[in-house]
Amino acid sequence: MFDAIENWMQGFGWLPDGLITFSVIMLKIVLLLAPLMTAVAYLTYAERKVIGMMQVRLGPNRVGLFGYRIWGLGQPLADAVKLMFKEIIVPSGANKGLFLFAPVLAMAPALAAWAVVPFGSEMVIADVNASLLYVLALTSIGVYGIIIAGWASNSKYPFISAMRAAAQIVSYEIAMGFALVGVILAAGSLNLGQIVAGQEGGILSWYWLPLLPLFVIYFISGVAETNRAPFDVAEGESEIVAGFHVEYSGMPFAVFFLAEYANMILISLLAALMFLGGWLSPFQGVPVLGDTFLGQDSILWLFAKTSIFLFLYLWFRATFPRYRYDQIMRLGWKVFIPITIVWLLVVALMVLAGWL
Amino acid sequence: MVTIEINGKPVQAEQGKMLIEVADEAGITIPRFCYHSKLSIAASCRMCLVEVEKAPKPLPACATPVNDGMVVHTRSPRAISAQRSVMEFLLINHPLDCPICDQGGECTLQEMALGYGKDISRYSEAKRVVGNPDLGALIATDMNRCIHCTRCVRFGQELAGVMELGAPGRGEHMHISTYMEHSVDSELSGNVIDLCPVGALTSKPFRYSARPWELTAHFAVSPHDCVGSNMRVDVRRGKVMRVVPEANQIVNEEWLADRDRFSYTALNHPERLTVPMIKQDGQWQETDWDTALTRAAEGLRDIVQRHGAESLGAWAAYGASTEEHYLLQRLMRGLGSANVDHRLRQQDFRDQAAQPAYPSLGQAIADLEQLDAVLLVGGNIRKDQPLLAQRLRKAARQGAKIMQLDAVGHDLAMPLAEQSIVADLHSEMLGVLKALVSEKGEAAPQGLGEALAALEPSETQRAMASALLAAPQASVFLGNLAAAHPAAAELRQIARELAKLSGARFGQLAEGGNSAGAWLAGCIPHREAGAKPSTQAGMDWLQMCEAGLKGYLLHGIEPELDCIDSAAARRAMNQADFVVAISSFAGEGLKAQADVLLPQATFFESAGSYVNAEGHWQQARGCVAAPGEARPAWKILRVLGNLLDLNGFEYTSVEAIHSEMQALFGDVAMLAGEDWQAEQSWRPPEGLLRLASHPIYRVDAMVRRAEPLQATRDAEQAVLRANPATLDVNGLTGATQARLSQGGVSVVLPLCEDETVADGVLLLPSGLDEACGLGAPFAAVQLENVD
Amino acid sequence: MNAMVQFLKSLTLKELRSGMGVTGRYFFGKKFTVQYPEERAPQSPRFRGLHAQRRYPNGEERCIACKLCEVICPAMAIDIESEQRADGTRRTTRYDIDLTKCIFCGYCEEACPVDAIVETRIYEYHGEQRGDLLMTKEKLLAVGDKYEAQIAADRAADAKYR
Repeated sequence: MFDAIENWMQGFGWLPDGLITFSVIMLKIVLLLAPLMTAVAYLTYAERKVIGMMQVRLGPNRVGLFGYRIWGLGQPLADAVKLMFKEIIVPSGANKGLFLFAPVLAMAPALAAWAVVPFGSEMVIADVNASLLYVLALTSIGVYGIIIAGWASNSKYPFISAMRAAAQIVSYEIAMGFALVGVILAAGSLNLGQIVAGQEGGILSWYWLPLLPLFVIYFISGVAETNRAPFDVAEGESEIVAGFHVEYSGMPFAVFFLAEYANMILISLLAALMFLGGWLSPFQGVPVLGDTFLGQDSILWLFAKTSIFLFLYLWFRATFPRYRYDQIMRLGWKVFIPITIVWLLVVALMVLAGWL
Repeated sequence: MVTIEINGKPVQAEQGKMLIEVADEAGITIPRFCYHSKLSIAASCRMCLVEVEKAPKPLPACATPVNDGMVVHTRSPRAISAQRSVMEFLLINHPLDCPICDQGGECTLQEMALGYGKDISRYSEAKRVVGNPDLGALIATDMNRCIHCTRCVRFGQELAGVMELGAPGRGEHMHISTYMEHSVDSELSGNVIDLCPVGALTSKPFRYSARPWELTAHFAVSPHDCVGSNMRVDVRRGKVMRVVPEANQIVNEEWLADRDRFSYTALNHPERLTVPMIKQDGQWQETDWDTALTRAAEGLRDIVQRHGAESLGAWAAYGASTEEHYLLQRLMRGLGSANVDHRLRQQDFRDQAAQPAYPSLGQAIADLEQLDAVLLVGGNIRKDQPLLAQRLRKAARQGAKIMQLDAVGHDLAMPLAEQSIVADLHSEMLGVLKALVSEKGEAAPQGLGEALAALEPSETQRAMASALLAAPQASVFLGNLAAAHPAAAELRQIARELAKLSGARFGQLAEGGNSAGAWLAGCIPHREAGAKPSTQAGMDWLQMCEAGLKGYLLHGIEPELDCIDSAAARRAMNQADFVVAISSFAGEGLKAQADVLLPQATFFESAGSYVNAEGHWQQARGCVAAPGEARPAWKILRVLGNLLDLNGFEYTSVEAIHSEMQALFGDVAMLAGEDWQAEQSWRPPEGLLRLASHPIYRVDAMVRRAEPLQATRDAEQAVLRANPATLDVNGLTGATQARLSQGGVSVVLPLCEDETVADGVLLLPSGLDEACGLGAPFAAVQLENVD
Repeated sequence: MNAMVQFLKSLTLKELRSGMGVTGRYFFGKKFTVQYPEERAPQSPRFRGLHAQRRYPNGEERCIACKLCEVICPAMAIDIESEQRADGTRRTTRYDIDLTKCIFCGYCEEACPVDAIVETRIYEYHGEQRGDLLMTKEKLLAVGDKYEAQIAADRAADAKYR
């Protein structure tokens, strides 16, 4: 698909070369971000709806479009409009520059990471060989946004929140990294496209099975990395009001949420790519079904698998109470890291034995 | 001593003491309504029934004397059932109106009903209904609530000395009321409000305005008389709601005079000064503190520069706190003038250098109850110092001989052993002294021989002298009228000699609330703080009037109303170029005379200490914030001192001033004073004399504005009173009103025949609006018929 | 040994899964939501909504300024000033309930000896200006006058349980 854009742009040959390249890149970005932002918006809607239903409520069902209620599907649009028109309040004691820079710093890495994410065997903006490293690097930069927000607010709760966020990210980064090392060992590549390609051969040959502990740890660490319940001590509304974004309002506040949800989708998508075979069909190699359209590789499979993880995010939030801070630390350092190290050895042995 | 057992606990007690007293001392509470430790025993409520072993039926603890080996149960089933039954009877006729009753929340009956009452009454007949007598401006009545404990009746009989309330009717028809329809006029009447265990007698000014649980209690000392009564000031949301006594057995016991209890009603009087004001071209303008204080300081400095410091004077109120007196005299002496005085109700200062450190009662207040003979000279102690009179009344009930020597035969509401009502107090006292001298057979005291030689004592004088001599504990007191006498110094001299010869104690019933504090703080021209002789010569207030000073600093007074010689005060104010008044209230008189008005917090609103007649130094911390811009006077004086560049005015708290004074007062010997001899003996002027002293509800600016007090009988003073014989001599028999002229000022007032007034004198109290501008007492006046 | 088994068991995340099972079941369960403006939940006669002050049938206000509601109010939302009215009765000169402080516990109603202050069934009200939610005596009496029939009926319905 991205090739098609490039080809089509070549039709404007009379334009200067640089401009064409620039336009192509811009178009690609728009093509990625527009659906992503829509997905983020509707993820908030889904979240309220799913949690509502798990709490035996209906969730938002009033704001419709064009005079029709349609289960409240207009809600995200209304929220967006509301947030855009809200006043941006900068506390008088805050460091104004950093205060406004923090949401940008949270948002930028959350979006930039998408550059190397493949949606199909050919569908990727930048087919980088070290793409997994790149993703790992960018997702850990996002926490700086939170730390800076907490510091720049010049307020107690945000500062506590920043401290918590920093400690938590550092702890889970390690477990997450080790989990990914397992994937790299199994696939023998850092390229996400090749990691998916390495899982060819039906549901049983995806990495989730041999790397099951790493898979679970990766996803839980992902929840922790995105500061989502039950690891949302950085927000902790019952203890520190709303943590790092206590002092934020209007669009800067919204940007923090955009970043958080974009990260959620990214983590879910990466989980689908690395452990559930990405766009590969689960029915590959299954006798009858494998020959129908269900056996085809498709971006729809990728989205379906991503959705499972996103739903899990919401399900977790509806189910688990928040971890105590020391419990979070214990889980990260004393449980996840040892398990991943042990399992890395197992994976290495499996690779040596040629089982993978 | 006997040993009894109460609830299994052995208790030592004096034989014959009542069981309830013994139980109280042992910390065992027995419910009661009619029993009160300061009143006689009525045993009428029966609430204190207890079980005494071997007694056939429960006995009332308040009327059962203890006996050796008595075994008492106050909480046994039998005792409790007796108490419950009594409670049921008491509640039969008690209305269920607690929600609208002012006693609700602090009601003994309510509390007892919680402990001993039933939820549901078995009484279904009609309840008793009693009319509510109108007892005047101070006490509200709801007689349906009365449980006939008769505490109010006994209080009137025993402590107030007037049985104004009684219990006519018997059984179902018994009710508390005045026998004939009239108001309750006792100066101690407010105490029945506290005594009443139910809501039958409540405070009228407080009526329906607050609940006890909304009130926060603060401590205050009353500056209205020299007793220094302790008060509990109940405050709600920064407003004084009521005043009740704070028990202090050595000062006011559990009582409070109505003047102390109801003076708070003046706090929000329309004449209350809440903003600093300056007079600009004859017009009063409200301004801020900076402007007013600068103006005051500049004005005072200007007077000093133009006329010299000695043409500056300061007059202070009797009721100002010791700290204020101290700062005021420091301010004046700092400016170079010792013209500072508070003795505005005296006119004879000849013996001031020989006076003791402060005008003292000569004994502790509580000791008054033990006296056996008392000679009261010139003054209505019952109205001027109600709680001292109450102590003397107790002594009189125990047989003390109370002797009254006065120009007006005030009803002191206690039995009098001797009474002598004459216009010439001076020669009457000399007569008593002569009788004493001759009875003892001693030589006449030095300097008085000449005056005594010609006298032949009368029967009464002899009786007084022998009573003083015979009594183991005797006292001679000079009252407020004697203090206002033009020969007060000689009266003091005679009284001191009387006391010396008879072995009695000599005491002065000081006029104001804090005279003693003012003397000690040096708010007098001849002495500095701590009773040290003044280094500068100063004038007393009458000398200031004569000298025509150019500038005055008035502290808490209204000159025409507070000075005994209103005419002199008026003259002095008119002669002055610049008058600064620190005052809580601004009446028309003060506004006409002052140039700068500085709003002062009242004693309810500022911290301060007071020294009472027995020398007891009491501190109060203030109860509420002053309204508007008004500030405590010590702060005003402090800033004034700063603005005048005086040294040592850097006080940051009232405690700092207090500790400074403490260091000064510490070694003051409370001497009886030195002997002083008059150079010549006083003779009354020819003609009709006017008697005047400040009546009970005119003593200070606050009391004068307390509306409930002004609505009482005691406030009705603007009447010319004279003996029928005197009226006859002046051709006024049967006249309803007359014109009184004194020193060129005349007033027309109702005329009243009064047998109690001595022959040859006319009583018109000072401090009345109607008496403004009239001269000093014991001066000749003219009386004309205007009918 | 036991601890080891315990540890290994914990790795199966059994408790977490059963917790998610509960929420998962409710996800598909019947929803209890009442679609408020169109549907309404049933109200009890004891409903504690907007306050009102009642009058006697002769038009005299019931409140006698006993201040029991003021003292019982746990949120200190009630503010009363009282005095003696010209006819000698005890009356309030000010009776304010700050609805922004009120927690609608109903203690004021329980404390009232004359059933003067009541909480009505009204819960749909709002304020558009500062002070709109400060119910003065006039406003309270106006509410009482308007809904007296229902207030009286509600008290009557509940009377037998008191």
